[in-house]
Amino acid sequence: MSRLRVLLPFGLLIAFWWAIKSGFDISDKLLVAPPQVWSSFRVLIGHGILAEYVSTSLSMIGIATLVSFAIGVPLGFAVGTNRYAARALEGFLRYLQGISGIAWLPLAILWFGFTHTTTLAIVIYTLIVPIIFNTMTGVRAIPENYILALQSLGASRLRIVTDVYFPGALPSIVVGTRLGMGYGWRALIASEMLVRQGGLGDLIFGARTFGQIDRIMVGMVIIGTLYIVVDRLLVQPVETMTLARWGVLRK
Amino acid sequence: MSSDKIVVSGFRHFFQSDSGPVQATGEIDVTIREGEVVTLVGPSGCGKTTLLKAIAGFIMPTEGQILCDGKPVRGPGRERGVVFQELAILPWRTVRRNIAHGLEIARVGKAEREQTVERLIGLMGLVGFEDRYPHELSGGMRQRVAVARTWAADPDVILMDEPFAAVDAMTRLTLQEELGRLCATTHKTVFFITHSVEEAVFLGDRVLVMTKRPGTIKATLDVPRHGKGGRDWDSFTGDPEMRAISEQVMHLVHAERV
Repeated sequence: MSRLRVLLPFGLLIAFWWAIKSGFDISDKLLVAPPQVWSSFRVLIGHGILAEYVSTSLSMIGIATLVSFAIGVPLGFAVGTNRYAARALEGFLRYLQGISGIAWLPLAILWFGFTHTTTLAIVIYTLIVPIIFNTMTGVRAIPENYILALQSLGASRLRIVTDVYFPGALPSIVVGTRLGMGYGWRALIASEMLVRQGGLGDLIFGARTFGQIDRIMVGMVIIGTLYIVVDRLLVQPVETMTLARWGVLRK
Repeated sequence: MSSDKIVVSGFRHFFQSDSGPVQATGEIDVTIREGEVVTLVGPSGCGKTTLLKAIAGFIMPTEGQILCDGKPVRGPGRERGVVFQELAILPWRTVRRNIAHGLEIARVGKAEREQTVERLIGLMGLVGFEDRYPHELSGGMRQRVAVARTWAADPDVILMDEPFAAVDAMTRLTLQEELGRLCATTHKTVFFITHSVEEAVFLGDRVLVMTKRPGTIKATLDVPRHGKGGRDWDSFTGDPEMRAISEQVMHLVHAERV
């Protein structure tokens, strides 16, 4: 039942699309029917073209996530454990969130050219800000008594990081990473469209030049599907796991 | 005569605020002897928590000095355990692992650690709750875990900052009796602050009364102990001597109403 409820809007959209296409007799230059998209999908799969573009996009988001996590989490800790730094940086980070990754594209292209480096820089920038921000807020939300109590039990600074700061901030870190990956995925597609060095953004933007509407639509469906698959099957379970166990922290 | 464990002399503390320094306490001199349970009662805001935090080493006194075993206190240390009012046991550790935490930090061997934890789980009435997480426990149970964690780490001195203030009145009576027994059987040096006169007299070998802010020690009263073991509320309330001391403390505290 619930699966049906989830799929219903998709079914309705396809039905609506098909109805408009045939009802108003719209030209294939503007819109194609679902079966054409399906056969285009099969062609792209068959020639291994889709796999090529998908693997580029997925490895880009994967690398960007790992790099952002590796840099963003320690940075968030450093800032979060220092009251003055946290206060100074909070406004700045909010400001940066206002300048989307895409707004950095012109500069990034001038600096790094039409390369993967440009795309990576844009995606890492987009991903890292929510990770730093959420790590910082997570660390700051930890009650001071947890730290004082551990100090009175004779804990070293390192011990307090591993036993209090890390588990205390983990739910927040996971939330930040999940948010960041969502934003990062969108920035990735946008950057690929301009940089044109492979990836799903390149696929759909390239298809436009030849008026391959079927190919554009296949790309869009894949972009949405991959987002859901990664978010629901990979990231959300981790989030549920940490929140369910330590949920008390996030009242 | 037992030796002096904690000596606070010429202590005065000021906090920095936007409008300049604010005096948190007046001049305080306190000596806590080894194996003694000293309770401190005073009106809210009198600076009793400030004094406890300074002994714990969480804050450095503006004036005066604090000695523990003759050595100046320079920061928190495992020889001075602290039980807070609330929010101090870790929500991501089970009851057992919270209690074992101090022993893990001190690298006590597994067998000895488990033995100590089991003993405290028994003493604090936590049997059956060993593998629960704090959010699955009542407030009273959580405070039992906090007390057990501090005792398990085996500090020389235990500092308690209104540990039962956030617990419901019925549970509080039980916890006070349990703590009394624990103190009597382990002979720990305990410094316990509270705003409850009855609690102070019930638990203390000696009761200190503080004036209102900026607080100083106004009076010290000895509470005689008859027989071994902790007190229980039934005989405590029926004892005229205890009632007299409570009334005396009550008068002293009453005069300090803010």
